[in-house]
Amino acid sequence: MPPHPDGDWYKDAVFYEVHVKAFMDADGNGVGDFAGLTGKLDYLHDLGVDCLWILPMYPSPLRDDGYDIADFYGILPSYGTVEDFQKFLDAAHDRGLRVIADLVMNHTSDAHPWFQAARADRLSPQRDYYVWSDSDRKYREARIIFTDTEKSNWTFDPVAKQYYWHRFFSHQPDLNYDNPAVKTAMLDVMRFWLDRGLDGFRCDAVPYLIEREGTSCENLPETHTILKEFRRVIDAEYAGRVLLAEANQWPEDVRPYFADGDEFHMAFHFPLMPRLYMGVRREDRQPITDIFTHTPAIPPNCQWCLFLRNHDELTLEMVTNEERDYMYYAYASDPAMKLNLGIRRRLAPLMDNDRRRIELLNCLLLTLPGSPIVYYGDEIGMGDNVYLGDRNGVRTPMQWSDDRNAGFSSADPAALYLPVITNPTYHYQAVNVAAQEKDPASMLNTMRRLIAVRKRSPAWGRGTIEFLRPRNQAILAYLRAWRDDTLLVVANLSARTQPVELDLTAHEGAEPIEMLSGNRFPRVTRAPYFLSLGPHGYYWFRLERRERRPVRYGIEETAI
Amino acid sequence: MSSAAPEPRGAVATPATADVAVAVLTYNNVETVKMVAATAAAGLAQHFPGLSAVLIDADAGSSDGTPEALETAGLPLVVTHYEPPAGERAAVPFHGVPGRGEGLRAVFAAARELKARVCVVLEADVASVAPDWIRDLAGPVLTEKADFVGPAYARHRWEGTITRLLLSPLVRALYGRRLQQPFGGQQALSARLIDHLLVHPKWNWSGRDVSDLWITGAAIADGFAVWEAWLGPHAVRSRTRTNDLPTMLAETVGAVFTLMDRHQDLWLEVRGSEPLPTVGAPRAPLVEPRALEVDAMLDAFRLGVRDLGGIWDLILTPDTLGEVLVLENAPGPGFRFPDDLWARIVYEFALGHHYAVVHRDHLLRSLVPLYLGRTAAYVQVTRTATAQATEEMPEETARAFERQKPYLVEHWR
Repeated sequence: MPPHPDGDWYKDAVFYEVHVKAFMDADGNGVGDFAGLTGKLDYLHDLGVDCLWILPMYPSPLRDDGYDIADFYGILPSYGTVEDFQKFLDAAHDRGLRVIADLVMNHTSDAHPWFQAARADRLSPQRDYYVWSDSDRKYREARIIFTDTEKSNWTFDPVAKQYYWHRFFSHQPDLNYDNPAVKTAMLDVMRFWLDRGLDGFRCDAVPYLIEREGTSCENLPETHTILKEFRRVIDAEYAGRVLLAEANQWPEDVRPYFADGDEFHMAFHFPLMPRLYMGVRREDRQPITDIFTHTPAIPPNCQWCLFLRNHDELTLEMVTNEERDYMYYAYASDPAMKLNLGIRRRLAPLMDNDRRRIELLNCLLLTLPGSPIVYYGDEIGMGDNVYLGDRNGVRTPMQWSDDRNAGFSSADPAALYLPVITNPTYHYQAVNVAAQEKDPASMLNTMRRLIAVRKRSPAWGRGTIEFLRPRNQAILAYLRAWRDDTLLVVANLSARTQPVELDLTAHEGAEPIEMLSGNRFPRVTRAPYFLSLGPHGYYWFRLERRERRPVRYGIEETAI
Repeated sequence: MSSAAPEPRGAVATPATADVAVAVLTYNNVETVKMVAATAAAGLAQHFPGLSAVLIDADAGSSDGTPEALETAGLPLVVTHYEPPAGERAAVPFHGVPGRGEGLRAVFAAARELKARVCVVLEADVASVAPDWIRDLAGPVLTEKADFVGPAYARHRWEGTITRLLLSPLVRALYGRRLQQPFGGQQALSARLIDHLLVHPKWNWSGRDVSDLWITGAAIADGFAVWEAWLGPHAVRSRTRTNDLPTMLAETVGAVFTLMDRHQDLWLEVRGSEPLPTVGAPRAPLVEPRALEVDAMLDAFRLGVRDLGGIWDLILTPDTLGEVLVLENAPGPGFRFPDDLWARIVYEFALGHHYAVVHRDHLLRSLVPLYLGRTAAYVQVTRTATAQATEEMPEETARAFERQKPYLVEHWR
């Protein structure tokens, strides 16, 4: 496949978030690497995903799982070399898979040579790469993000004899984007990887690039100006690449990151995710439909990114205090499950390993407007370990088989970067790829099927959405339409069988075809369309208007 | 089985002996049979003017005047009637002739009676028959080079997908000979092969008829010279043949599987393959554009994966099933079906048929979605290929069947 042929491929794509260290260890040192990941590309291809999102892969002291970058031009030695990365990228492209990588634009590690030079010498050209102050009183309106670990956004550096600004951990000094040299340096970094064929970046922590007194130092107009500059360069020099924004904000605050279709191609829809969990827990569609009424329209060349879980905690920043309390009550019974303003658990444990609820949430992920991201391991229902500290509990080794170390590594189990999951419910001997590949009804094969069906209709990625309003509040029903294609999703958010009558009179005469089975349902008439759904059941229908004809393949007359 | 004594008919007096017997197996073929016989007569006059010939009609009970139509076809005529199984009159097999095996036996008996040096069997509904077919089918037998001559046809690359992708590779791996059309319809047999077959103790069975396959296999196994004749295009005009794909697949593949069961002696020890001697000029597949419903094939494949998983679970090994499940979700435009997987699937179905792991008809029909998936992949791959490249693809498939044969043999008891 040519790596970058279609301009807006990301609108139809299914993304897969993968941690290099967690996926497959080829050299047996206990840490996953690019050679291992390359060896598993066929698995990802078979899963049906289109684009891999690689978490930070650069040299780093690993005090924030790689988000503390010490060298933008290299590969973390335990992951391999730039050549290994190149082989991986080429092999992915050979399979029609695209790859985007995390890029932390806002800050570096304090071990980065830029920072080391900056702190050592006030006259160093790198001094002005960072934000310094003699006082820790500036920008006081800016909130502290990691409330569990940081007391201030300023930290005094005894070598530099000044405070430096950091929105995240104190070992992650913010870059100073008021300095044009920083913009140039960051563009050079992007070019380096795009020249190698990378299909884009997931840009970390983009709202915080610029600081201004008297503001929250988030989402400032100057930040958008810089991001648009980056986009202009990429569009001009690297057609078909994508920029995905991580901006954990309300939709109306994220909307400016799309600008007029000339800033980011994509952005995460953070507030939707907790509301999906809320809707299922409360057995009420209101939290889900409500967030869409507060989601502004975006330019036609832009796309939301939807996710159920990722490498961080299930963030509850974008919910009200009351909603957050409810989420903690519902999904974090053990205090160890809480972290910052969120819950550090994987999808399956959040759903009490209830297969029907896990499937239902994936059904919504794959059919609501946007491009879905699957977090590695969630496609087989992997469990977590909340006692591993920080967010490590959701970053444990991928479970490939019931072999030692879950087939992830041949290393001594004690040498693994994190232990494999061994609790009785999610033990790797029960939850693993090899076992599920051979079971037609497994979670893995169900996910493959759902993804495959999603990919058969561009309406999922590009279509409009219209929520239906049946009297039964436990039923979430919506139409997705794109050109001549009209799709209908009906989902039962409750744990009990539910009846529902849908008003489909606008589609009178259409024949609903259930897309997962191919089964034809009774035609739509002027009467309310009655359906019953089992606990957490769901239907994906195509409303077909064509006359039914016997299936012919064109080979019958001469097949022998 | 029962058949009446051959009955001389028609306007031309029937001689007691003939050099060439031309035979048709008929069942309500009045629209085409006279043209077939007349073309055969023209071929004989053109290519073998000094030889005597008789037309033998084995009729399965036509009600449309088929035997009568042959009376004025220009050749001395012998008509032999036989009683096909009642079930095959109600549901005529894919080749359009009820009780074809009995018909062949009746024809061979009549040819032996006539002391014919060669018996050329033609389909009664073949609209593309040409005088040269007589030359190419009978010639190698009359010159004593061949005992059996089967047909090869000039076909479009997307015609004959059951044959190209399944029957031909399977039979090739079984017999060790690269037969292109195991159910080719036309054929020529020498007198000595006919003598051999008519007294062969193993041509005697009840149930599913596997005569065509058995005749070829027995000829190969017993050391007769088997040839192939390039005949040109193959087109039929029939009211009795089915164009129901599942029926065609179940009957043809069922015949091969049944033969494998009954006649292990013909294939179990065979390894590798060799080409057949040929007569006539080989034809590359035709490649002009045609409209096929590949999406519908893929839909049927995917639907099969979802609905038939329970049956396949009993037939396929977990590894094979796992690979099939992966294919279900492959995107349409790049859809590929690995040859070795396909060969293993067919062999596991053969094993499932052998051990009767599920009702055999269900087993055979559950192969249809897999065949459609394999066909869809073949169509996708060949869509922009040259004729030469297209020809190479079924060859690759056939090699996979040979590679996987030890797996079949190992599991066959």
